[in-house]
Amino acid sequence: MDIDPVDEFERELRGAFERRPAPPSLKRRLMEKRRAKQVVRPWVTWQRLAASLALTAVLAGGVEWRIVEERRKEEAAREQVFTALRITSHALDQMNARLAARRRGNQD
Amino acid sequence: MANDRQPDFEQLPEFEKEFEKLVDQHQSMVFSLALRMTGDRGLAEEIAQDVFMEMDRNLGRLESADHACFWLRRVTMSRSTDAMRRRRVRGIDLWVEMEDVHGAAVEERASPLSARLEQLLATLPEPQRAALILRYQEDLTPEEIAATLAAPVATVKSHLQRGLKLLRAKAATHLKEFVRGH
Repeated sequence: MDIDPVDEFERELRGAFERRPAPPSLKRRLMEKRRAKQVVRPWVTWQRLAASLALTAVLAGGVEWRIVEERRKEEAAREQVFTALRITSHALDQMNARLAARRRGNQD
Repeated sequence: MANDRQPDFEQLPEFEKEFEKLVDQHQSMVFSLALRMTGDRGLAEEIAQDVFMEMDRNLGRLESADHACFWLRRVTMSRSTDAMRRRRVRGIDLWVEMEDVHGAAVEERASPLSARLEQLLATLPEPQRAALILRYQEDLTPEEIAATLAAPVATVKSHLQRGLKLLRAKAATHLKEFVRGH
């Protein structure tokens, strides 16, 4: 039976491209690597936990600092307003006193 | 060939636990894909290790044995392409190294004709080589190759056609005894 040359070539390719056996060391090294990773995992977990806690602490500290800073600024602004009101009140008192004195002078 | 393409896992939890079994079933496929793509045994072994370690990290996401096989092929091809790109940037021609270092070993294991066909495959452009490897090593259809390489089916068909034509032309030139003998 005549064989189509393309088919034969392709069949030759299939033969040439059969899977190669992997080196025996591949599986051994893989299993070792995996075991090593599993041993390391608790450390990694703790490290991640510690890093998360540290990050949370830093963020919480930052937020707290910001709140305190805002309160301080609010307090300072309130103090300034009170001071301005006191000065205004004092000025008005002085003005009232002068007007009262002048009124008394005009009556005399 | 691809006779162990569809391992029969019955339950997903078991499947997740059987990393070793998956390695046994697919190490030859992963290693051969990486070897034929890169032409470097050491690099192919490294790629195979990386691929299986990544599979270990993603075991929970693999939905079935077929999915695992598809995933392994896809990641292996992608890693191999990346590795070749990195080597090219460093100015190393892997297949020249392959011929120098491992050529003799290839000749020993395979028939001389097979070994020379494999060497000719190495001279093809990378996309054509990838398509032909998946077609003739893994016995995949163009649609399956397209899914594996994340490429349009038409492109894959074109790569297969051109790659095969080029390989036949090279074989006709370099393997005259094959042409005459048949």
